[in-house]
Amino acid sequence: MSEPHPRRAAVTGIGVVAPNGTSTETFWKSTREGISVLDRVAREGCEHLPLRVAGQIRDFDPPSAIEERYLVQTDRFTHFAMAAADLALDDAGLDRPATDAAPFSVGVVTAAGSGGGEFGQRELQQLWSKGSRFVGPYQSIAWFYAASTGQISIRRGFKGPCGVIASDEAGGLDALAHAARAVRRGTDVMVAGATEAPLAPYSVVCQLGYGELSTVEDPERAYRPFTAAACGFVPAEGGAMLVVEAEAAARERGAPVRAVLAGHAATFTGASRWEQSREGLAEAIRGALREAGCAPEEIDVVFADALGVPEADRAEALAIADALGTHGTRVPVTAPKTAIGRGYGAAPVLDAAAAVLAMEHGVIPPTPNVFDICHDLDLVTTRARAAEPRTALVLSRGLMGSNSALVLRLGAGDAS
Amino acid sequence: MSDRITVEELSELMKKAAGVTVAPEELKQRCDSGFDALGIDSLGLLGIVGELENRYGTPMPPDAEKSKSPRQFLELTNSALLAGA
Repeated sequence: MSEPHPRRAAVTGIGVVAPNGTSTETFWKSTREGISVLDRVAREGCEHLPLRVAGQIRDFDPPSAIEERYLVQTDRFTHFAMAAADLALDDAGLDRPATDAAPFSVGVVTAAGSGGGEFGQRELQQLWSKGSRFVGPYQSIAWFYAASTGQISIRRGFKGPCGVIASDEAGGLDALAHAARAVRRGTDVMVAGATEAPLAPYSVVCQLGYGELSTVEDPERAYRPFTAAACGFVPAEGGAMLVVEAEAAARERGAPVRAVLAGHAATFTGASRWEQSREGLAEAIRGALREAGCAPEEIDVVFADALGVPEADRAEALAIADALGTHGTRVPVTAPKTAIGRGYGAAPVLDAAAAVLAMEHGVIPPTPNVFDICHDLDLVTTRARAAEPRTALVLSRGLMGSNSALVLRLGAGDAS
Repeated sequence: MSDRITVEELSELMKKAAGVTVAPEELKQRCDSGFDALGIDSLGLLGIVGELENRYGTPMPPDAEKSKSPRQFLELTNSALLAGA
């Protein structure tokens, strides 16, 4: 039985903790201006490792954002998640009394690519230097992928449906899609997104095996997708959480509908099989357009995955052309993540946040450090481009083979 | 380190192992409140037990981590220390 008025999933709040800003406002300002904050890795214990450049968060003070009892039992990736969730809920106008009044109406879904490496490293060092009796019990939960979802819901008293997506970088988009489905099934509010903290020494060592990782020393040259000089990607920490809410519920409480999660699809083409990702990504785009009821020509901007590996960049450019036809070579494409690095599962959520902000502000942010494009794409470089995007396509691929596409449409604001 | 676990030491361990700050004076007054009301969950209490076992070099009774209140916890752990002395 079809519903006459399906429950649309709206974005009503955005919370960002990123290398280029620990609030949504500073993130957007820096993203719009195209300011690259990639820098030499300065994290203690990483100095001698071959990873030279990353997107690091320097102005986040966990004790000022999170209560001590939550800090001691969580890793840095969960600190980011709790802080971003607070920012998103504030942004959406959902304070504690509002959610306490209907705790079963609020759920949480996050994606995570690596879990709590810093916390895990500390406890494993206790294990091997002093013995098992010196490993703290919170190790059992802190380094687990699910930690952020659990801690956000416990800390804020949410009792609605919760979930965790572990599907590679693309999991960030899959988490937003999961939230949209939960809203369509009847939950009023989902706090959804992803954060990562992959810059502890243990975590960095784990990444050194990725052939796609850039070990270039110059921050301006380390991550330059879609150019002949593409030499891999640099990692980043941080991420974003969004408040995904039933459109009707948002309107009822007078909250602006900033965007609608209109369509999503995901495919899988195998680890580091970049040539094959062309077909997988194109199919994900087609599926997302189909669910959104969106023609290719309606896409006003594409936020690219932009891995920075020549073969992968080529596959992505071809996938865009395969799925969008001739429109694929005309539509503005951007990859603002070249300013901050790729935050694994968090990267496409930051892109989704930037897409909403781009539509709201009528401007497409640029792709810093990228100049001479060697693919048939209209990549926005150097400076932001004025435009009136109303529909955005966000793309993501994971190193292990996941491909996802998400279509976002500009909301009607607070007009009813 | 004294030969018995004091409210002061418990207060210090609550902060260290569970991130919960309750001053010793206040903890004395709230000795019969539940650990949950003080903000200590089961893993937090388990961490406090582990810390004490390492400090005193002796196992604590299995029920210590199931104590409902600071008073019950101190009675159990101190009786174990006394028996082991």
